[in-house]
Amino acid sequence: MRRSLILGGVAVLVFPTAALAADGASGGWIGPFAVIAAGIGMAIAAGLCGLGQGRAVASAVDAMARQPGAAARIQTAMIIGLALIESLAIYTLVIALILLFVKGIQFS
Amino acid sequence: MEAIEHPPIFRLPGIPDHVTYTWLVMIILAAVTFAASRNLQLVPRGIQNFLEVVLAQFTQMIDDVTGHEGRRYLPLLATLGLFILTANLMSLVPGLAGPTGNLNTTAACAIVVFVAYHWIGARKQGLVAYLKHFAGPVPLPLKPLMFVIELISHLARPLSLTLRLFGNMVGGHILLAVIFLLMGLDGLIGWALSGSVVGAVVGGIGGAVTIVFTVGFLYPLKILVAFLQAFIFVMLTMLYISGAIEEADHHAEHH
Repeated sequence: MRRSLILGGVAVLVFPTAALAADGASGGWIGPFAVIAAGIGMAIAAGLCGLGQGRAVASAVDAMARQPGAAARIQTAMIIGLALIESLAIYTLVIALILLFVKGIQFS
Repeated sequence: MEAIEHPPIFRLPGIPDHVTYTWLVMIILAAVTFAASRNLQLVPRGIQNFLEVVLAQFTQMIDDVTGHEGRRYLPLLATLGLFILTANLMSLVPGLAGPTGNLNTTAACAIVVFVAYHWIGARKQGLVAYLKHFAGPVPLPLKPLMFVIELISHLARPLSLTLRLFGNMVGGHILLAVIFLLMGLDGLIGWALSGSVVGAVVGGIGGAVTIVFTVGFLYPLKILVAFLQAFIFVMLTMLYISGAIEEADHHAEHH
């Protein structure tokens, strides 16, 4: 079981190289790994961004329920905070887009 | 991105799409404001009434954030807000391109903001006093360190403004493009029309679900995001301007 997993892992690591080497030098060996990295990175960023925004919204709703008079100001502050939190995930999105779509970057 | 997104219907050869559609946004805004202000009346009606409501929202927001002082910067803030909002909403119309879906447009807006709030702050307090505030209220040995840190944080502001607007818009566009690709003639609808029974059943139901999901959920979400990103851009600009001009009052009170 373990040996087959290791063999599979080695195969995954080796075969894109072999396939692309046979294919010609279109993008080099970095291409498949760039796709994997974009997917995994975006997943981590989206999940953690969701956690952070959830905490922020929970506190804001709590505060608005305790003090309905200040709801408008709290909402404004919450939206600004959410934008600042979300921009961190957006950075990862931009990096993922660069990895996926920008040709001609040679990571050698 | 070219691979999955359909090009806009109207293209000028040799000119990038976002430039063409930036001019379209400018034409729309100029035409609307010209039509509204051509025949000003004390009791506004029609399009003048609409624009007065919109600008009243901006003044309300400025009064809330920067106080009465900030009304002088209404032209900058309202222009930025209306331009970004129109561009965001235009990118949702099928067949048109959105200028804010391109990094150059958002970077131009952010650089204008960056230069403007430093200019306003330096004009308000004098250049030396303004630069002195970068060092912050810390003991003298720490001041160079604080100055460098503040400098980096100020340089990060236009970067984050640029990438936030661009990333939100482009992320939404790619999401819509992927969903359209799934349900288009290459996807579920094509499968439903292919003549096989399984394709008609699975592809038809899947296509119907995808269309309902897109029209009922994704498009309202995108409209919300368009308004929200324009609001956030203007709100952060307002906060930066108020930070640049308020430090003077703060300083004057304490000394």
